[in-house]
Amino acid sequence: MKRILVLLVAFGLLLSSSALAYTITVAQGADAVSLDPHRTNDQPSARVMRQIYDTLVVQQEDLQLVPGLAESWTQLDELTWQFRLRGGVTFHNGEPLRASDVKFTLDRLRDPATAAPAAFLVTFIDDVTVVDDLTVNITTKAPFVPMLSHLAHTATSILNEKAVTAAGEDYGTRVVVGTGPFKFVLWETASRIVLERNPDWWGGEVLPSQVVFRPIPEGTVRAIELETGAIDISYGLEPLDARRLEADPNIRIAKVETLATHYIGFNVQKPPFNDVRVRRAINHAIDVDTIVEVIYRGQAVRATAPISPRVFGAHPGLEPFEYNPELARQLLAEAGHPAGFTTSIWTNNNPIRMQIAEVVQAQLGELGIDVKIQVLEWGTYLADTAAGLHDMFILGWVSVTADADYGLYSLFHSTQFGNPGNRTFWSHPRVDELLDLGRAESDPELRLAYYLEAQEIIHSEAPWLFLVVTTEQNGLRANIEGFVPHPAGHHRLYNLVRN
Amino acid sequence: MSSAAAVIGASPRRKMWRALRRNPRVVLGALVLAVLVLAAVFADQLSPYPPNRQNLRNSLSPPGAEHLLGTDQFGRDVLSRIIHGGRVSLQVGFISVGIALLIGGLMGLLAGYYGGRLDSALMWIVDVLLALPAFLLALAIVAALGPSLVNVMIAVGIAFIPVFARVTRAAVLTVREQDYVAAAQAAGSSDLRIMFKHVVPNALSPVIVQVTLALAGAILSAAGLSFLGLGAQPPTAEWGSMLSTARPFIRDAHWAVTFPGLAIVITVLALNMVGDGLRDALDPRRKDA
Amino acid sequence: MLQYILRRILLIIPVMLGVSVIVFSIMVMTPSDPALLMLGEHAPPEQVRALRERLGLDQPVVVQYVRWLSRVVQLDFGRSIRSGRPVLEEILQRLPATIELALLATLVSIVIGVPIGVLSATRPNSVVDHSATVLAFTGLAMPVFWQGLMMILIFSVLLGWLPSSGRLGGWQHYVLPTLTLATSAVAAITRMTRSTMLEILTQDYIRTARSKGAIERAIVYRHALSNALIPVVTVIGLQFGGLLAGAVITETIFAWPGIGRLAVDAISAKDFPVVQGVVIMFALTYALVNLIVDVTYAYLDPRLRTRYE
Repeated sequence: MKRILVLLVAFGLLLSSSALAYTITVAQGADAVSLDPHRTNDQPSARVMRQIYDTLVVQQEDLQLVPGLAESWTQLDELTWQFRLRGGVTFHNGEPLRASDVKFTLDRLRDPATAAPAAFLVTFIDDVTVVDDLTVNITTKAPFVPMLSHLAHTATSILNEKAVTAAGEDYGTRVVVGTGPFKFVLWETASRIVLERNPDWWGGEVLPSQVVFRPIPEGTVRAIELETGAIDISYGLEPLDARRLEADPNIRIAKVETLATHYIGFNVQKPPFNDVRVRRAINHAIDVDTIVEVIYRGQAVRATAPISPRVFGAHPGLEPFEYNPELARQLLAEAGHPAGFTTSIWTNNNPIRMQIAEVVQAQLGELGIDVKIQVLEWGTYLADTAAGLHDMFILGWVSVTADADYGLYSLFHSTQFGNPGNRTFWSHPRVDELLDLGRAESDPELRLAYYLEAQEIIHSEAPWLFLVVTTEQNGLRANIEGFVPHPAGHHRLYNLVRN
Repeated sequence: MSSAAAVIGASPRRKMWRALRRNPRVVLGALVLAVLVLAAVFADQLSPYPPNRQNLRNSLSPPGAEHLLGTDQFGRDVLSRIIHGGRVSLQVGFISVGIALLIGGLMGLLAGYYGGRLDSALMWIVDVLLALPAFLLALAIVAALGPSLVNVMIAVGIAFIPVFARVTRAAVLTVREQDYVAAAQAAGSSDLRIMFKHVVPNALSPVIVQVTLALAGAILSAAGLSFLGLGAQPPTAEWGSMLSTARPFIRDAHWAVTFPGLAIVITVLALNMVGDGLRDALDPRRKDA
Repeated sequence: MLQYILRRILLIIPVMLGVSVIVFSIMVMTPSDPALLMLGEHAPPEQVRALRERLGLDQPVVVQYVRWLSRVVQLDFGRSIRSGRPVLEEILQRLPATIELALLATLVSIVIGVPIGVLSATRPNSVVDHSATVLAFTGLAMPVFWQGLMMILIFSVLLGWLPSSGRLGGWQHYVLPTLTLATSAVAAITRMTRSTMLEILTQDYIRTARSKGAIERAIVYRHALSNALIPVVTVIGLQFGGLLAGAVITETIFAWPGIGRLAVDAISAKDFPVVQGVVIMFALTYALVNLIVDVTYAYLDPRLRTRYE
């Protein structure tokens, strides 16, 4: 009897494992830079790392925060949080997950010697202490309520101390070890990254046996590969391709509003942008709806608030500045510029931004505002706007934690001028106050109220021309099931089924 | 031209013109170029619309009565932008080739005339420039100096220096051995005078061939660099950047891509046909087949 | 012969030195601060300053150059600023892909270009000659991007015969990128073949052969062809550098993991070590290719061969 049972079980296991042997091929517009979360903070890398690593807290697709590697947490006092780690979790190299790994990871992220681009995410941490193998305490410098959303970001993925120390400079390219649903197999630069199923994953069953990421820079070709079935998923399709593929029965388009806002900023230190009437006038002078339609072609929605509506704390009820050139002319005249003025708009060579610059130039030209377009190389762009050398500039901001604190603080607080994020050099004492209150207030209702008021002031004072919140259109072959796109762009692939 | 050569029968010049006129490729090419130059000079008068006038509601409309070649994503008239783009391309071509000719020609002239260590030194520079593929060199220069049409002209100009240095040097070497040069030297003419009175005019023919071919190459390189976003900046109409910005629309509004592409093909083809024909006609070994 | 080869190899050194100076100075000319680029826009200024010191960016330029050169000579190109990978490793991983394409494209352009050139030479100034030349030069003038995309649309989407992008999965992946790259090289080879063939065909021994009869004619024509091909070899060497221009765009369209794309990406990201490494490796490869071409030419041309033996 026992033998028959054993045979049945073995047979069952054989069946289940062999039935689930399929590869999911994903194409994106660029290759990953590194698979070390402390080395880079770019989207293509994060999308791959999402499959390999886990974070203490998990931010689901609906932006709810649920336990990840930390199965529970408690706030011991105003500045101290205690995290209890899940037991029995192992890294891909067989090492068990320990609190020391968490301490190692967060310390390394914070260490100036690491020069991690995402270090700014954890500047609120004062110290990380190991209590026991499965318990770790995090103390903050000041009460910081958004902490949990920060600990859900892929940049805070938990690394294995042993693996990282042993690999040295080769970590992230040759050696990649995480606790996630997929293990790193190989990386042929600019060609493919291959990941294989981690059968011991704590988070559930990993359905695909393999995931392959392919970088295909040309958008048109990405769409073609999807059409011919050479790939299963394409992240980010060109707008016209997406529109055309919607009609294709073999393809499904998965649309998701992202956490990214795009805006045109005014350098309020430089006249005439120090006059709010001028800023409001320009807001009325640009036909944003047409920009959305013609430039983004359906891959964006008009922004009314400075943060995406998917972000916690976003103001749902702000009125957009209506397109009204007459009103704009009036305001300009009131501000003392009836005949317009000369100015410039800066951008980097991002094709969408350049198109926006051209439209702005044309439309402001009708008001007598002579706008020169200045295209800068990305590094120079960031440096020079940080130094306040610009007049107007086009930029985007991704509220990666989906929390209003991240979306507003760096952009509008008086302590964040320049590189940290506030390139308009605008500030307002009440907004400062509200933002400081917001990050320390644990009552979500009260927090929301603070952020709503702050956004109302920002909206009225218009240090920005609010443009759009982008939507991402991902293409999938119709036989792929289970794909739920994440607003942050780090889509999870472990539950995909291929029919 | 030396008096000795003028005496010897139907001058090479006359022969050359005859050969050129009989070559239909050259004639056609020259005609096309003439049209191009005219269009570039009279761009403003010939364009039905201002090249940068946007009409967002009319974005990506197909070729029709109102817009002969259709409109691009901003609703700008493609035909007008192509005409103005021709002006830009010719400007870029002439200036960059001009730079290459001036610097390279001078280098070749000096190297060929004086020989010796100067020759070795100058040719070493040329070899170094040749070791770096022209496009890579141009790419790096533009990336370092920043994206702009002017930097593209400089970069492409520098990349073409070796071509002119070598051609002028070779031509100078053949001329240098001639009797009349030795005679002039013996008579006490200054080097400079000899160079410009005797050497340069005789080196002219191969150089002209190279100029035409280099123009074609320069326009192609500039279009390629603009395609990568390193050249013409918005809203300047330039064929390469027009091609680049319209590429996401190639499957649904191909005219925004096809017509600038065609413009490039026709121009570069015409230049190559003329240059090629010139090279054939000037080839001293050529026998009338 | 050996002497010639040795001399040519030695000549590469001063050229490469010049190349290194150019490469280094181009990067020095860039206005961006590499440390700021590495750390990203949110980094505090002290961190940026510390990194600059660590990278040695605060030293005088000449010192930086000498330090860099001494490492380069030992084939230590440092590590990529972005990924941390050793630059040499990154380059060696990507170089084969481009070399494969370049070699195949050169081969294809010879296979296409030589017959066209011969055809043109046997019927000079005829309709065939004119149309063949125009066709060859159209390939050169046609924007690479457009060509590539058209090929994909026809052969991949419409006909479904060939894959659209990528390098892995069989020989089919090589067809479209090779054809795209080859079309720009065909023109030069066609012209060179035509002109040298013409020159030979008008010579006396050919004229006498024509009057003699079919078999003799065939032998002589074959002899003429092999002689005509010798100068064509020199064109191949020159083409190699020109192929890079087409390769950059070809690699982007076909998602080909080659060195052209590496160069462009590294240049826009200001990843200096990678840029420097790529340019030097490419210059070296190019110099070697030209060396092989020159030696082959010297070997093949009977006039030169006797001189060097």
